[in-house]
Amino acid sequence: MSRFFNSLRDGVGFDLVLVGAALLFLLALAGLPLLYNVLMSFQQVDMFTLGTLIRPWAGFTNYVDVVRQPEFWLVARNTLIFVFASMAGQFVIGFSLALFFAQKFPGAATIRGLFLVSWVMPGLVVGAIWSWILAGDFGVLNTILKSLGIIQETVFWKSDPNYSIWAVVIANIWLGTAFNMLLLAVGLAAIPRDLYEAAELDGANAFQRFWTITLPMMRSTIGAVLSLGLIGTLQQFDLFPAITEGGPANTSSVAGYWSWQMSFQLYDFAKGATISVMMFLLVLFASVIYVRSTRHEVRG
Amino acid sequence: MSLSRLAFLATLALSSVSMFTLPAAAQVTVKMWSIDGDNGLYTKLAEDFNASQSEVVIESRLLAFDDLVNEALKAFATGQAPDIISLDNPDFALFSSRGAMLDITERVANSDVIDTSVYYEGPLASAMWDGKLYGLPKATNTIALFYNKDLFAKAGITEPPQTWDELLEDARKLNDPANNVYGITFSARAGEEGTFQFLPWVQMGGGSFKEVNTPGAVKALEIWKTLIDEKLASQDVLSQGQWDSTGTFNAGNAAMAISGPWELGRMAADAKFDWGVALLPTETEGGPRSSAMGDFNLGIFANSQHPDEAFKVIEYFASQSDRLFPEFSNIPPRSDVPLPATGDARTDAALKVFQEQLQYAQPRGPHPEWQKISKAIYDAFQAAMTGQMSAKDALDQAQATISGIVG
Repeated sequence: MSRFFNSLRDGVGFDLVLVGAALLFLLALAGLPLLYNVLMSFQQVDMFTLGTLIRPWAGFTNYVDVVRQPEFWLVARNTLIFVFASMAGQFVIGFSLALFFAQKFPGAATIRGLFLVSWVMPGLVVGAIWSWILAGDFGVLNTILKSLGIIQETVFWKSDPNYSIWAVVIANIWLGTAFNMLLLAVGLAAIPRDLYEAAELDGANAFQRFWTITLPMMRSTIGAVLSLGLIGTLQQFDLFPAITEGGPANTSSVAGYWSWQMSFQLYDFAKGATISVMMFLLVLFASVIYVRSTRHEVRG
Repeated sequence: MSLSRLAFLATLALSSVSMFTLPAAAQVTVKMWSIDGDNGLYTKLAEDFNASQSEVVIESRLLAFDDLVNEALKAFATGQAPDIISLDNPDFALFSSRGAMLDITERVANSDVIDTSVYYEGPLASAMWDGKLYGLPKATNTIALFYNKDLFAKAGITEPPQTWDELLEDARKLNDPANNVYGITFSARAGEEGTFQFLPWVQMGGGSFKEVNTPGAVKALEIWKTLIDEKLASQDVLSQGQWDSTGTFNAGNAAMAISGPWELGRMAADAKFDWGVALLPTETEGGPRSSAMGDFNLGIFANSQHPDEAFKVIEYFASQSDRLFPEFSNIPPRSDVPLPATGDARTDAALKVFQEQLQYAQPRGPHPEWQKISKAIYDAFQAAMTGQMSAKDALDQAQATISGIVG
């Protein structure tokens, strides 16, 4: 018996307790809600069965119904545009800024720190600000573009079906760039200086150094940043109600917002759950990449 | 102030005395959920009710508009529902149709305080399901056409438009892009507000929420689309709510606006021009009128432990109808309460028009799946107005969805 307690304090038992606590935490706060959500997507849910676990079985009816909604393919297309355009924008701008601030010049670290302002701001506030900037008739962006002569006619960023999804993408890029920059800057700082010095001695130019040293050394960081970006973008919600509300005509609605709308505006909780299960498969894909890239990091 | 404080202290003293003499069992607590805002109406009336007698105490909880239905659904599902709830009228049927609300038809018929015959038809209908009454309208509102009299005079128009075609014609005459003036503004937002604004046009065009693809409704949508296509209204009406949309009217950037009486206070202060209100234009001269109907209904949850006391609260709210407008800028849901003059001639004239428009106000629904019907409607006009579908196709698609819901 005392050996059991001893091992709890110092030994295999202690390890098991630690692992167990973490697993229990994960199971209770992530696993169970997830299973509940999957279960709900196969059930009929209404206000009388909302609080119960056993509900009429619906099979794949919810899934078929969701795919048959007239807006399904539009939302799927928007989700892809939103995710990939946001990630590309955040990553390219974030990486450029990280490289820029990696150069030694006075105030580099301070200014880089200031960029974080965009990341600490709540999404709803960012959404409200961009909503004003992107307003059609009296928006700042239109005024600037017009005075620069780039556009002649007013562009209704939030109300034109050709631009509405891009309005949210622009705001999301602004919101997420700093986060990308920060993680990538950390990765850049970790690359040993002597590698560059050696390459320079061998006559490698700036592009070659970037291509053969920076990128390969940043592989795991980039993998992590991109998968975190994918998860973060799929989770993005605040910007949608603040800027376009998914309109006009669902042209800026994405899966996450649609799922919320189903559950909390149309009170069709089963379909809301169904959409989030579909989304979960996408996030799962990203998580696998993330876990793989961080595993690589630990070994290296 | 000192008087009411004195009265409060007196009540406090009295109640502490009565607590000594009588066991507190005589007091029943009634839980009431309502929305925050609304000029403090619920809080004030609940306080006054609590001060007016000692048998029933309202325990008031205020929720944000967006949370109210969700919280109520959760509470009902777990048996934690309050006794009384105030719900936006299109949401009311979600509860009443499933038997979640108490049938108060008998109680109202036997009540000395409530006389349903003086209530406007629309608000009352929104609290009914299957011929039974499940709640009572707290207040009501509707929409009509605001117009800038100065800009009308400048464009040489003497009367506000009476028909849809006149509205379109006037919008063309009033439109003045050089001076940043649009002909008209309204809200065609992808949400309940958009449906609130569009459904009256469907109804004037011979349709209803169950039948949205009548020729009149298609014509209405074509007019809405023309307003956008010819830039007679800002394309941002597709994303603006009524409050922001009417703000552009107040700033003089739109010559007409479709909105409701909640704007009157702000407009009287902000608008630097002469303005008036007219009934919504009809499809044809003398054609059927309609308008939207807003505001909240008070109902009692069916599993309330204190239905009698809860009904007393509802009676109290009904008895205070004459205070609704002067104190809270709410329009009473009944025709027998005169609205006192505000001292602003434009506002007083506007109120008369709104009271007339209320006669034609129709509820959205009532239907247990109203939110889905509403989405079908706003998806349709948004698809047409952004040129993704023709007005006819968009409304046909909405009709297919709605037919699937209403059966």
